[in-house]
Amino acid sequence: MKYLLLLLTPFFFSCQSKEEITQQQYSVEGMALYQTHCENCHQADGSGLRDLYPSIQKTKLSPEALACLLKNGKKGNGFMPANAKIQALDIAELITYMREKWGGKKQIYPVDSVKLALKNCR
Amino acid sequence: MQHKNTVLSLLLSVILFSCSQEKKLPFLGPKSVNAKGDTVYHQIPAFQFLNQDSLIVTEKDVKGKVYVADFFFTTCPTICPKMKTQMLRIYERYKDHDEVRIISHSIDPDFDNTSVLKDYATRLQVKAPKWNLLTGDKAAIYKLGQKSYMVSAQEDPNEAGGFVHSGAFILVDKNRHVRGIYDGTVETEVNHLLEDMEILLNER
Repeated sequence: MKYLLLLLTPFFFSCQSKEEITQQQYSVEGMALYQTHCENCHQADGSGLRDLYPSIQKTKLSPEALACLLKNGKKGNGFMPANAKIQALDIAELITYMREKWGGKKQIYPVDSVKLALKNCR
Repeated sequence: MQHKNTVLSLLLSVILFSCSQEKKLPFLGPKSVNAKGDTVYHQIPAFQFLNQDSLIVTEKDVKGKVYVADFFFTTCPTICPKMKTQMLRIYERYKDHDEVRIISHSIDPDFDNTSVLKDYATRLQVKAPKWNLLTGDKAAIYKLGQKSYMVSAQEDPNEAGGFVHSGAFILVDKNRHVRGIYDGTVETEVNHLLEDMEILLNER
């Protein structure tokens, strides 16, 4: 029994860290994407620029709404450019990064959820 | 040996003192010589545009002022926000200084009409005449940018947002001579601009 536990221990740890590693990969990729696509306007700390670009530190948008916004942008007042080239994985990584940085939530936002959200954009 | 040292330090102090002389800024752009044999420096020509308050702004509004000019458009997704962040530093520092002005020319005047510019200025919390956001005839804006301010500004469907333009801040003296061009997206470059601004303000 003792040996079995010892045998299982590394397995258990490696499982947990694999998930952690994927989360970290998402987050790191997400940060790079943030720097490319978002930081110019919303600033590195997400604070925005006066009333011109809103702060995203305390956004009330759901991940689904965020996915649609990142893909389709916003027209009219409070304009935000659409991004036709951005992929579901990019969006998943971005949301993962933003949730970790400003939402205190260390959890992957899955690609499947992004794909589903994008199908149901209003 | 001691004598030699004295001579050396004398020599050094001459060099040091000549270095610490007041810094002067160059006159940028093509120069010419007039009939009297005087050098004529490149000068920003007369212009006429509308600002965010739908008021006409001309070269007379910057008479005797040191001003910073740049080119942007309100829906620009790339470098403009960085430029505006940096320009705000200049705005805040010289908010109450009557001899300083800022002029931002839209290079997308079809979209950036006066009401779009008004909305932009309101949300950026800046006011004319300290910071004029200008719109007007597109060809006149591009010509002024390329020929007078010596920066690129034109339409380009291949660029994100549809326009290509430089991120330059152009520093202009009280007689509309261009005295410095800085990268308006880089904080340290704008630090240099702020230093040079003081030199121009002290010029008589």
